[in-house]
This record gives sequence, C-alpha cells and structure tokens, in this order.
Amino acid sequence: MAEKTRRFLIAAAFALLAAAGIAHGAPSGKRPAWAELSAAHQQILAPLKETWEQIVPERRHNWIGLAKRYPKMQPKEQERMQRRMEHWAKLTPEQRKQARENYRRISKVPPDKRGDLKQQWSEYQSLPPQERQGAAPPKSKPAPAK
Amino acid sequence: MDNELQFAHRVRQLLSENARFGGPVAERLRAARNAALERRKAEPAGGHVVVGNVAGRMGVGGLSLRVIVPVVALVVAFAATYTWEQKQRAAEVEELDALLLTSDLPIDAYLDRGFEAWLKKRAAF
Repeated sequence: MAEKTRRFLIAAAFALLAAAGIAHGAPSGKRPAWAELSAAHQQILAPLKETWEQIVPERRHNWIGLAKRYPKMQPKEQERMQRRMEHWAKLTPEQRKQARENYRRISKVPPDKRGDLKQQWSEYQSLPPQERQGAAPPKSKPAPAK
Repeated sequence: MDNELQFAHRVRQLLSENARFGGPVAERLRAARNAALERRKAEPAGGHVVVGNVAGRMGVGGLSLRVIVPVVALVVAFAATYTWEQKQRAAEVEELDALLLTSDLPIDAYLDRGFEAWLKKRAAF
C-alpha cells in the first residue's frame, strides 16, 4: 500500500509538472517575428517595427489582436491608435496596468456627471501642479521642501 | 425398452471413461492449478486487487493504468482550465488596450495619478 502511494505521488508530481509546462507554453509558445506577420498587420503595426524584437511574446500576441480589431475601427480611432502605439509599447507593464485600472475607474463615473472628458482633462492640466498633486492619493509623498 | 437401457448404459460408460483423466492431461491440469495458486499468493491480500486485476496488470514503467488514467485526466483538466483562464485574461487586456488606444483622452490622462481622483471629486458635486 505504501508502495502504491509512493508511486501515485511520483506520477502526480510528474504529471503536474508536465501540465504546468503545457499550460505555460500554450498561449505564448510562438513568438512571431516581424517577418512572420502578414503584410496587412505589418502595415498597421508599422510604428512598432523598430522595437518589435524587444516586445515579449505575450505582448506581441496582444498587438496582433489589436491589429485584427483595427479594420473595424472608425478612421478617427485608427488615427489615434497609430499615434499612440509607440508610446503605449514603451511603457512598463506596471504603467500599462495602472492606465487600464484608471480607464476602468473613469468609465465607471456616469457620463452626465463627468461631463466632457476632453474638456475636463484640459481644465485639470491648467491647474497649478500642487493642486494636481493634491488630488492624487497620498501613496508616494513628494520630498518635503526644506 | 431394451434399447433405452442399452443406450443409458453406454452413455454411463462413456462418461465414466472420460472422467478418469490419465497421465499427461492430469499432469497439465495440476500444473496449471499450482501456477494459478502461486500467482494468487504473490499478490497482496485484499479484495480490490482482485477486482482491478485486468487494469492493474497493464501499465507503463511499473505504473498501473489505475494510477495513470485518473492522473492524466486530472492533468488534462488542470491544463485546460489554466489555458482557458489565461486566454480570458488576455482577451480582457486586449479589449481594454483597444479602448485606451482609441479613447477621447490621451494616454497621459490615464497615466496621471491625480486626474481620476480629481474627476470623481468633481462628479460628486
């Protein structure tokens, strides 16, 4: 009986390792090189051409997914995406995560209360820096003035 | 009547003759029986072993199928769930990225730590 238990545990350990390997490799197994992209995707993702090799496989798949959505976007949206791609790709994973989180929060504010977002943003930008910082949650305090 | 008796007699005779196994047949039967008994003794006691005999004997690398099959099933289920969750997460991220990249607001607005709080404060009035 002890022998059986031991065998079972060994088998289970191996199997779990194998499963982790399969599951880990599945979504990002391929890391498509720039040359492997279709001509249409290359054209859409052109702003990323120079930095493509530095992008991790998971993010590459994300970009390919965005390129697939691109044809369904409005011309204005397409133009915005083209303009922002490079900036977005250069951010750290933490920054992107923070931006997504903020997007989620902002879109939860009811439209009739938040007003025109563009207008709000330019108003916010015109505030003196201290007032802007005051709005930020006190997570990392600025160095105290001497 | 006589015929019937004679027939019965003959049948009895034939049955008796065949019931007495002689020499090699008896020897082979005895050997087979002993072999079966030996094998039975070698197995650990316990009813479940007898029940699982067929599946238990087949296997790979000393592991019986009764161990391999459930473990493989477990692994496949685990891997499938994990992969599915990863895909869901990736799809969510992609959706948000598409919205962010095409939003009315520039990316900087979403990177700013104060804007969101400021906007909420204003909306509360």
